Amino acid sequence: MRSRLLLLLLVSLPLTVLASPRGDEASARAALLARFDAALHADVAALDKLLADDLEYCGVSATCSTKAQYLDSIRSGTRKFRSLAPKVDRVTLFADSAVLTGKVYAVSIGDGTERNVDAYFLVVLAWRDGRWQMTNQGSTLLQPKPKT
Amino acid sequence: MMSVASFAKDDAREAALKTAEISRFEAQVNADAKVLGQLLDEGLEYTHSNGDLDTKASFIDSLTSGKRDYVSSVATIETVRFFGDVGVIRGKANVTVTSDGKSQDLHIGYTDIWVWKDGRWQMTAWRSARLPAPAAK
Repeated sequence: MRSRLLLLLLVSLPLTVLASPRGDEASARAALLARFDAALHADVAALDKLLADDLEYCGVSATCSTKAQYLDSIRSGTRKFRSLAPKVDRVTLFADSAVLTGKVYAVSIGDGTERNVDAYFLVVLAWRDGRWQMTNQGSTLLQPKPKT
Repeated sequence: MMSVASFAKDDAREAALKTAEISRFEAQVNADAKVLGQLLDEGLEYTHSNGDLDTKASFIDSLTSGKRDYVSSVATIETVRFFGDVGVIRGKANVTVTSDGKSQDLHIGYTDIWVWKDGRWQMTAWRSARLPAPAAK
């Protein structure tokens, strides 16, 4: 009887691990907002946890960075922000990932000048190691509102 | 350990997604609503490089009505990645499009998201941005 129980436990253990729940919509949203906040505060340690090792980060100029390149730009101050105000419009959950779209209103600092960069974002989060990790971000400049 | 069969399955999955991507570009140029109806997800969010937004219905309508006419689209797929039932493609494209009567040659970087649903790949999000113009020689 005891050996049967042990066998049942051994058989069911991998199933329990496989069935470990992926994060929900709120946690995906929170992970993305934490990523923006860490970028604003140049918190490289937090970004290191929030970004997947296989990150593809494509900015509004359509040039793309790896995780190492993105972290370097934050660490060195090449990528620096006065403010970052994201608004998540939609979160779609899939089996192992989440796709988030929205807008971000940013004031970036470069070469001593400030620049307003308002953009749409498309982000993919992957559920790995029990947490959401950002694996892709693409951005498109928001169309300026026509002057009335 | 990865088996040969699993490698073959991965290759087949990537090939199927790339085929869907190429078919989608072709269907845009041909304004083929039937093919696009199959390849685009009902929840599609399409963000054009100029910041215009489309749903599946408004995107197909813009093509069939002639409001937006893709004269040519030549895409280069740079990466294909999978996250379970989701495929992410990143690439570049040279696009000639006439929009509201104005013709433009665009060089864009794009990311699109595909989901495996109902036994086929369907594009659920597209986002693009204009690449800097190549330096004059």
